[in-house]
Amino acid sequence: MFLSAVVLILQEMLEAALLVSVMLMFTHIFSQLWHGSMQLTRYWVLYSIVLGGVGAALFAYFTLAISVWFDYVGQEVVNAGIHITTLSLLMLLAFAVPTTQLDANPLQRGRVIVFCMTGVVLFSIVREGSEIILYLEGITSQPENVSPVIFGGLLGAGIGISTGILLFYGLASLSSRWSFRVGLLLLCLIAGNMAAQAALLLNQADWLPYTPALWDSSALIPEGSIVGRLLYALIGYEATPSAAQVICYGTGIVVLALSPLSRRLWRFSAEDHVLPVGVMH
Amino acid sequence: MLLDQHSKYISGSSAILSFNIKTWSGAALVSLLTVLVSTANAATAEIELIIKDHLFFPATLKILAGQKVRIRIINQDPTPEEFESFELNREKLVVGNGEVVVFIGPLEAGQYPFFGEFYPRTAQGVVIAE
Repeated sequence: MFLSAVVLILQEMLEAALLVSVMLMFTHIFSQLWHGSMQLTRYWVLYSIVLGGVGAALFAYFTLAISVWFDYVGQEVVNAGIHITTLSLLMLLAFAVPTTQLDANPLQRGRVIVFCMTGVVLFSIVREGSEIILYLEGITSQPENVSPVIFGGLLGAGIGISTGILLFYGLASLSSRWSFRVGLLLLCLIAGNMAAQAALLLNQADWLPYTPALWDSSALIPEGSIVGRLLYALIGYEATPSAAQVICYGTGIVVLALSPLSRRLWRFSAEDHVLPVGVMH
Repeated sequence: MLLDQHSKYISGSSAILSFNIKTWSGAALVSLLTVLVSTANAATAEIELIIKDHLFFPATLKILAGQKVRIRIINQDPTPEEFESFELNREKLVVGNGEVVVFIGPLEAGQYPFFGEFYPRTAQGVVIAE
């Protein structure tokens, strides 16, 4: 019970922690890109975490009602909707970057960017938090489970949060050039993951037709192994992904890789720390 | 002179490349349509899976290979459980005293274990497709 609580809570926390760290990292990246003209603070994280917590509690409360919708596949539909919304926010974030250096409206753009990041973090906390809440609620109704689950949960949460913090500081410690590239790569993988998860959920609900599995890498990295679960939580690793999942994942990556943000970051990181001083109005 | 000879090779190889792309995309489209049509024709079987005392009843689900199956998961426990399977790529939360539906398949013949993520030690089962 202790171990399964650790694993479960850790997995959920990791998924949220990765998104929070990458979004926080992008706060830093955007401030560097628009050196002087736009400073993004990090206070939005607090608001989105708190709102996310409230949202998670609401979502957990309404899970019973939601699960009856659409002929008992309501949960898949709503979760897929959340994934697609997160994907859309990430795309908005990537396309909200001005194509020209001279930006007439940096404040407005800054607001859009913060809105996107808040939304992404909020939805991930709603998703993962509601599952944690339901799990804890159910388990702790039996008194003999309370202490192993609480301790296991705290340990799992601690590991998850530490991993997120490590990731953030690890990214921040890289040189500008590499932090931009790694941050961009992670953003692409997260977007791909969101798309692929939505495809999987809709297939589970029979809203999308069956597509055959494209490969089976369970001999290399089994899904149930520690590495497998870690990769699943971070980038949505699947040992037997269906064709629809692979196509959606690839499309997510490609769309973000071709976005203005990606082009700006790649170009910026290619020039050696040349901050375009005169260009920022 | 050299460039002309070289461009002949380049255009030659690009012709081969375009032939392959057309063939492969055509083959992919045909196979995708075949899969979609064949699965549309197959009837959907219905199965009930009950969760009680953190156990699955029945623990073994026998289905036909190549058939889509609609599993009604009925949770008779007051606590939530999560139906999960790595092999089936399915993960579904069922609240206490709730009922949900999960679609699986069409599956190739084989064994596909599943478990309850919240109570993994007791809630275990397997789907056998034959």
